[in-house]
Amino acid sequence: MSKTWHVALHEYSRHVFNKRFLLGLLSVPFVIILMVGLIFLIVAMETDARPVGYVDFSGILADPVPPPEIEPPDKPVEFRPYADESAAMAALDHGEIQAYYVIPEDYLETGTLSVVHAEALKDGPRYQFYDFLAVNLLRDTDPAIARRIVESDEVIVQSADGSRSMSSDSWFNILVPFIAAIAFIIAMFTAGGYLMQAVVEEKENRTMEVLITSVSSNQFMAGKIIGDIAIGLTQILAWIGFVIIGILVGRVKLEFLQGIEISPQALLLIATILLPAFVMVCALMAAIGATVSEAREGQQMTGLISLPIWIPYMLTGIIIGSPNAPIVVALSLFPLTAPLTMLIRQGMTNIPAWQIVASSAIMILSAVGSIWLAGRAFRLGMLRYGKRLKWREIFAKS
Amino acid sequence: MPTVEISHITKTFGPLKAVDDVSFSIEKGELFGLLGPNGAGKTTTIRCMLDIFKPDSGSVAILGGAMSEAKKDHIGYMPEERGLYQDIPLERCLAYLGSLKGLSPSDVKQRSEGYLERFDLAAHKTKKVKELSKGMQQKAQIIATLLHQPELLIVDEPFAGLDPVNTQMVKDLLREQHQQGVTIVLCSHQMNLVEELCDRIVLIDHGKVMLYGGLEDIRHQFSGHAVVVRAEGPLPELKGIERVEPINGSTKLHLAAGMKPQEILKTLVAKDVTLAQFEIAMPTLDEIFIRVVQGEGGEA
Repeated sequence: MSKTWHVALHEYSRHVFNKRFLLGLLSVPFVIILMVGLIFLIVAMETDARPVGYVDFSGILADPVPPPEIEPPDKPVEFRPYADESAAMAALDHGEIQAYYVIPEDYLETGTLSVVHAEALKDGPRYQFYDFLAVNLLRDTDPAIARRIVESDEVIVQSADGSRSMSSDSWFNILVPFIAAIAFIIAMFTAGGYLMQAVVEEKENRTMEVLITSVSSNQFMAGKIIGDIAIGLTQILAWIGFVIIGILVGRVKLEFLQGIEISPQALLLIATILLPAFVMVCALMAAIGATVSEAREGQQMTGLISLPIWIPYMLTGIIIGSPNAPIVVALSLFPLTAPLTMLIRQGMTNIPAWQIVASSAIMILSAVGSIWLAGRAFRLGMLRYGKRLKWREIFAKS
Repeated sequence: MPTVEISHITKTFGPLKAVDDVSFSIEKGELFGLLGPNGAGKTTTIRCMLDIFKPDSGSVAILGGAMSEAKKDHIGYMPEERGLYQDIPLERCLAYLGSLKGLSPSDVKQRSEGYLERFDLAAHKTKKVKELSKGMQQKAQIIATLLHQPELLIVDEPFAGLDPVNTQMVKDLLREQHQQGVTIVLCSHQMNLVEELCDRIVLIDHGKVMLYGGLEDIRHQFSGHAVVVRAEGPLPELKGIERVEPINGSTKLHLAAGMKPQEILKTLVAKDVTLAQFEIAMPTLDEIFIRVVQGEGGEA
């Protein structure tokens, strides 16, 4: 095994088999479970499953067909008939029902009905009652037509060249590349943070001097970057694993999870923009580690990288509203803002091929340049104890 | 062919000339002392030797030529400021540092176990390095330096922080390595230990070589100003003596300029003094060091 791999393996095992890393890894499924739990909780709070009564003078619900089936997380509400309003009011007073509808004799002519309640009726029971009424109004119609009327339509919005389409059932697909980009950025800063911290520590505890008389600075830096990218990818793969499990479990109950798919273009952007961005961030963090004299100083300097990377997140509204605006294209071509901008755009528009090629080329060149910069900062700064390496020294002609 | 050959190297950091035209060579199998006060340029010289720094001018040949990646596996370096990973167990730290010197996991395990036993650290191998005492960390650093059985060993202040028992253990270890043919460069401020262990030395001050050569030659070079005499009965009055200094039952006679030891001996014999001891007072390395650093004695 070459020394580069020894360095990479050491870097990887030192951080991955560590409580802090495992906590970070498990925090994602924990947050997902928490969020899903919150959704169910909010829906449950919005749904009052107590029965709803009705007094039907029109005869529409004299011998009713049952209401359509309810999909989770909504709960089905029972509809109870009452012969007259006084009986319904008594049931309401006793808390047996949450409200009751009165359907007048001339309902078909006027379309007017009234509802009596102690507390405002929530959306869930209200819409369920309208569907119940609708299926009974349409009971003599062809069942297929009746179902089409009761269930809402799904409009598929398609681009002129047919390459992109979107429907109300697949809205979550817009978010997939965006979420992937955020996950990548979190992972790259986690891994890059480890790398910076490791380099600063090796300087602080003077291990550096022993190391560089054993390996070349290039082998050492390459090993560290490989190790830390492996840490980030481990994190991402574990998260993807958790997300897949979450989708497989959740799609049984949640309809919006059933249409999830990742487009080939999103995968292309992940490979050609997010992966080089990963290398670039790791190398820049290593360069920071090599230039500073203590970890706290390094953390402050990390902001110089992390702030521009998160700018597109703050501009999400603009990017979604005008995904091909000149400012958005400019953000797509700037190395630090390209990752998030391109992935947000991917969900919203057809990104022209030249922009994908240009952005990818810029990202790859930036990654290579960052490795060069890190190597140079490392060579010059590795034995600077207690004194920060100036950036102009890095760029000075050697 | 010398194991290390340094020819006229100069290294400057901004306005500071850390190393100024330094030259010396270290022969194969030699135990060589590299001495100098703090900030004299010793560490910079070592870093140039190890190719950590490129000298501004001059050349360095190590193990028969320029430094290469392959040669790094044959060199053991223990820097003055110790460097071990603090947050990992000692055995894992040694395994990693050994692997970077090209050792297989089985070799690392076998060799480190031997050294850990010898240095009384076997019971602590699963502890994190930061949990070890300063002396233990020092011994662990020595193990990491020796693990790959280097041909050239460069140890900077190896006795710092060690108690007398462990100092003796490290001295024995260095002698053992020396007997096995390992070339050793010893940097230390403990002159008595350098005197005890080294054959030749170089003394650097303000980046320049002040003394260079065999230890005995250097001591001779700095001797001649005094003789140590022990006689039965009191010494007679002698001419050409600047100062008389009693030392452990003997008398050190500091000679006036121009007076030779032989003339003193002749006078004593002529006066029929029964001598138990008469020798030219050889200065200790400590004394030479102080004299050179304080401005006495010339450049080599």
